[in-house]
Amino acid sequence: MPRRRRRQTRTAYLFLLPGLLLFAIFRLYPLLEGLRLSFTNARLGRATYQYIGLANYTRLADDTRFTVSLWNTAFYTVASTLPILAVPLLLALALNRGALRNVLRGVFFFPFTLSVVTVGLAWLWLLDPVVGPFNYYLRALGMPARSWLADPATAMWAIIATTVWWVTGYYLVVYLAGLQDIPRELYEAAALDGAGGGRTFWTITLPLLRPVLLFVVVTHVIGSFQIFGQVFVLTGGGPGDVTRTVVQHLYETAFQNFFQFGVASAMAWVLFAIILVFSVLQFRLLRGHTEY
Amino acid sequence: MRAPRVQTIALTLALGLLAVIWLAPIVWVMVTSLKLTADIVRLPPEWIPWPVTLEHYQEVLFSSSRTARIGRAFGNSLVIALGAVVIVVVTAAMAAYPLARMRFPGRDLVFTLLVGSLMIPNAVVLVPQYVLVQQLGWLSTYQGLIVPEAAMTFAFGVFLLRQFFVTMPGDLEEAARIDGANTWQIFSRIVLPLSQPVLAALAIFAFRSAWNDFLWPLIAVNKPEMFPLPVALALLRSAYSSESYGPIMAGAALSALPLLVVFIVANQRIVEGVRVSGLKG
Repeated sequence: MPRRRRRQTRTAYLFLLPGLLLFAIFRLYPLLEGLRLSFTNARLGRATYQYIGLANYTRLADDTRFTVSLWNTAFYTVASTLPILAVPLLLALALNRGALRNVLRGVFFFPFTLSVVTVGLAWLWLLDPVVGPFNYYLRALGMPARSWLADPATAMWAIIATTVWWVTGYYLVVYLAGLQDIPRELYEAAALDGAGGGRTFWTITLPLLRPVLLFVVVTHVIGSFQIFGQVFVLTGGGPGDVTRTVVQHLYETAFQNFFQFGVASAMAWVLFAIILVFSVLQFRLLRGHTEY
Repeated sequence: MRAPRVQTIALTLALGLLAVIWLAPIVWVMVTSLKLTADIVRLPPEWIPWPVTLEHYQEVLFSSSRTARIGRAFGNSLVIALGAVVIVVVTAAMAAYPLARMRFPGRDLVFTLLVGSLMIPNAVVLVPQYVLVQQLGWLSTYQGLIVPEAAMTFAFGVFLLRQFFVTMPGDLEEAARIDGANTWQIFSRIVLPLSQPVLAALAIFAFRSAWNDFLWPLIAVNKPEMFPLPVALALLRSAYSSESYGPIMAGAALSALPLLVVFIVANQRIVEGVRVSGLKG
C-alpha cells in the first residue's frame, strides 16, 4: 500500500516539523556557522569580513593565555574525574539498601537543582577567608586557615570541591538506577559461593556498572571542558590566570575584548574537537561486554 | 544476625551526619539571609538566625537601587523558564511520537542526528547563536532567551519521551483508529494523557535548565531590566562589598526557591527524569 505509506510519511514529518525547525535553526545552523566563522576575521559590528584560512587557528597556538586556559581546563577535568566517579558511587552503594534511601537521595540531590551562580555565591561565603564558617571551624580544629580561592595552590581545588558538591546528587541517582538493574540472583549466588562484600563489588557490581561508569565519565568530561560559571563567580579566573578556563577565555575574546568572533569560533571548534576525541577514546576504553 | 544490624545502624547514622553536612552550605545561605546585617559576620558562626529579619529580602525585591533588581529578575526568569517549558514539551512530544510509533523513511537518521546532537557543547554554538539572535533583533528580549533555551533541551526531550512512547501498548491506538480517530486525535487524546508522568519529568527538567542557565543570558542580554536571576545575582555580587552578604544571600535563597518547591512536591518525577537520562549511556 504505497499510498498509505506516503500518507503516513507526510503525517510523521508534519509532527516533526516544529521541533526540527527549532533544532535546525538554533542548534545545527549555529554549529556549522561557527565552523565557517572560524575561518574569517569576523568581529561584532564589522559589516564585511574576509576568509583568512587557518590564521585564527595558528594564532591560537601562539596565544599563551589560550594555552594556559586549555591546560587549566584539562587539569580541572582530570583532577575532578576521580572524585566525580567515586563520591557518588560510594554514596550509592551505602544508600542502595538503606532504610532512609529516598530521603537521603533527596538531600544529596538537592544542590543539583541550584544554579551555578547560587552554588558559587554559597561557597564564596562559606570559604570567606575572614568571616567564613569553613575557616573558622578549621581554626577551631587547630588547622591552618587559608584564603582558599585567592591562593594559587588551592583555588582550582576549591572549584573542584564546589563542583563535586553541586553535581554529586545527579550522578548518585544515575548510579542508584544502575545498581537496581543488577539482578539480585547474582549476589545471592555469590553469597552462596562464600564471596565477601569486597569481592562481590569487584567481580559483580563494578563490571556490571560499566555502562553507567561510561555514561558518568563521558557526561562529566563533556561538562568539565565547558566549565565557566563556577570560575566566573568564585575566582574570575584568578589568582593570576590559575583558574582561567577555555570557555572563560572564549567568552572574553568574543564579548569583552574587541569582540573577535572569528578567533572565538576557532577556540570553540578546538574545544569541540578535544571533547569529541576524549569521548571517542572513552567509549573505546570503557566499552566492554555487559552480558549477564 | 546481630553484627550486620549494628553495622546498618552505624552506616545510617554516618550517612545522616554526612547528609546534614551536605546541606550545610545551602542552610548557611538561608540562615544568613534572615540575619541582621550586624550579626552576619559574627564569629563563631551562628546557625540560628535570631533575631530574624526580612530586611534583606525587602531590599533585593523592592528597593529602588539600580543594582538590586532581583524582584524584576525573578519575574524574568519565571517567564523565560515557563516559556521554554511550553516550547520544549510541545515540540518534543510531537517529534517523539512519530519517531516512536510510525514507520517512515528517514526516521532512524533523524533520531540519530538528535541523539548525536546531545554531544554538542553549548559553549561551541555560543558565538554563532549570538550572531543569529542579533540578526533577528532578539537581543535583550524574552524570545531571545526562551527559544535558544528551548532548542538546548529539545533533543533531550525527544529522547526521553521516545523511550516512554515506545513502551506504550498499541491496543488503545488500534481501537481508536478503528473508531475513525485520526493520528492527531490519537496523539492528543490518548497518548498525551497517558504520558503525564513523563511529560511532567520533562517539564521539570526543562524548567531547571532554563531557570539556571547562566552563560547564554549573560551574553544575550545587555539591558539590566531584562536580566534573569543568575545574571542579576552574579552582578549583584560585584555591586556590594563583601561585608554585605545579607542581600546577596537573600537573592541566592530566592533563586533556589521555585525548584525547592517543585523538588519537595515532585521528588520522584525528577529522579525518574535523571534515571532515564542516564540510560542513554
